[in-house]
Amino acid sequence: MKNYILKLGNLDRRIIFLLIGLSVLIPLINPNLVDLPLGQDRNTKIVYDSISELNDGDRVLISFAYGASTKPEVHPMAVGLLNHLFTKGIKVYIVSLWPESPIMAEQAISAIKESQLFDIKDGIDFVMFDYKVGGFVVIKGIADNFRDIYQQDKNGISINDLPIMEGIYDVKDFDFVFDFSAGVPGNAEWVQYACDPKNVPLSSGCTSIMVTDAIPYVESGQLKGILAGMPGAAEYEKMVYDFMVKEQNNNNKYINLEKDIVKGKAYARMSAQSIAHLLMVLFIIIGNIAYYFSRKEN
Amino acid sequence: MVFNFEIIGIWFLVLMTLSILSYLYGDNPFYKASEHIFVGVSAGYIFALTWWDQVWPNLFGRLFPNYVQAGFDFNIIYVIPLILGIFMLLRLIPSLSWLARISIGYIVGMAAGLKIYVFINSNILMQIQNSAIDFSKSGFEIFNHILILVGVISGLVYFFFSKEHKGVIGRVSKIGIYFLMIKFGASFGFAVMGRISLLIGRFEDLINYSIEDYNYATPVIFTFMIISLLIWSLKQKDNTEDYKG
Repeated sequence: MKNYILKLGNLDRRIIFLLIGLSVLIPLINPNLVDLPLGQDRNTKIVYDSISELNDGDRVLISFAYGASTKPEVHPMAVGLLNHLFTKGIKVYIVSLWPESPIMAEQAISAIKESQLFDIKDGIDFVMFDYKVGGFVVIKGIADNFRDIYQQDKNGISINDLPIMEGIYDVKDFDFVFDFSAGVPGNAEWVQYACDPKNVPLSSGCTSIMVTDAIPYVESGQLKGILAGMPGAAEYEKMVYDFMVKEQNNNNKYINLEKDIVKGKAYARMSAQSIAHLLMVLFIIIGNIAYYFSRKEN
Repeated sequence: MVFNFEIIGIWFLVLMTLSILSYLYGDNPFYKASEHIFVGVSAGYIFALTWWDQVWPNLFGRLFPNYVQAGFDFNIIYVIPLILGIFMLLRLIPSLSWLARISIGYIVGMAAGLKIYVFINSNILMQIQNSAIDFSKSGFEIFNHILILVGVISGLVYFFFSKEHKGVIGRVSKIGIYFLMIKFGASFGFAVMGRISLLIGRFEDLINYSIEDYNYATPVIFTFMIISLLIWSLKQKDNTEDYKG
């Protein structure tokens, strides 16, 4: 037994890569093979409740600060949030703080339009702004004078000609700010430069690796909950899906009653994630036991 | 079989993904080529985007509003950032590179000034304020607050180096180490989760693009890469044997 564990401890790393790869690939090819239950995190619930408290016609500023590399984690959250907001008839303002973010924002809006669940119009129900370089300087600018930073929307239309921009001058004119981020600038910059000084409620959906740094802001209430990586996305997606189905049955005026509501992508990915995690835990345990035996031998 | 720009893009996407993943087996020409393409394309993309989305409308749009119609009025103050920007570029000329220090000094001074207030406010004062125990909450929440307070104090004591970590201070700092260890463990767990999520994203694309609509991009490129790598590794082996004599 001891020899086997010692051999496993010296396993070629390529075999470990292969096993991890297969543990992800198999559940993705055949999602029905493994269907693990999904819990509900307190922080996801806070995000959902905070958005649910918003009213018809409220204004939400969404910051896109992620790119293609982190799309699998963050993008389902963005689509979920847009579904949630449009179901409630909330106006959406999208800013992009990463070079690839306008593409991500465009794809999220396209996904909503393709679902044909909402009759949303650019410049009336939502507006998108192009990428601005500068990170926290742009956030500070949005906090102090939105119109000094953005003169035109993504289509080149002057903001003075956009009905949705009426009454928007700084971050205080928004009822809520939501940040989707995968690094810097991210939720910390929004807390520090805009939402704390101007006292505007803020939530965030971010990559897993950012969560431990953002949690102190959640515990202190500076962030209204957090969507933590893919599990956060899957949990939120499920809650929004249930909400939309309920609203469709209640003849919500914003949802097209003839179209089917489709479940999001994050939920389907969670089985692959969970199995890979179990395998990782197994490797860590075996690795530690092997390390213990090898140290004892030496 | 359809060939258009979308299909070409998808084939290139699959090739780049598999090339990067091939590094898991070992360093090889596919990986090297894709790494260099990534660096070059990223630099070019960010340069073009910064120029056309930032410098052109925001700087030249304010200095030459009739020529660059970005919706701004003429503003003479923007001559200063133009000069500071030119100073930065003068780093490339050794005799005038000292001028870049003025621009760097401005950036450092401005960033430090902006950060000091917000950092003290959001990361220190509000965090201290929220570390206090709220006895009006339920039992479990009070326990959580106590835990946070113990963690904050013991963590701070661990980083207090003016007194030797012996006796009470030693014991409290040891508790601090445990809290830090839990934090590092959580960070590692989240990091693993993030990496697996990225892998899921890549695999999903590879699965989606392996169908007839995309001319079986994934299986074709995968087979091509395996054969190429096999030939390459055999050649490498021959070269090594030739070198050894």
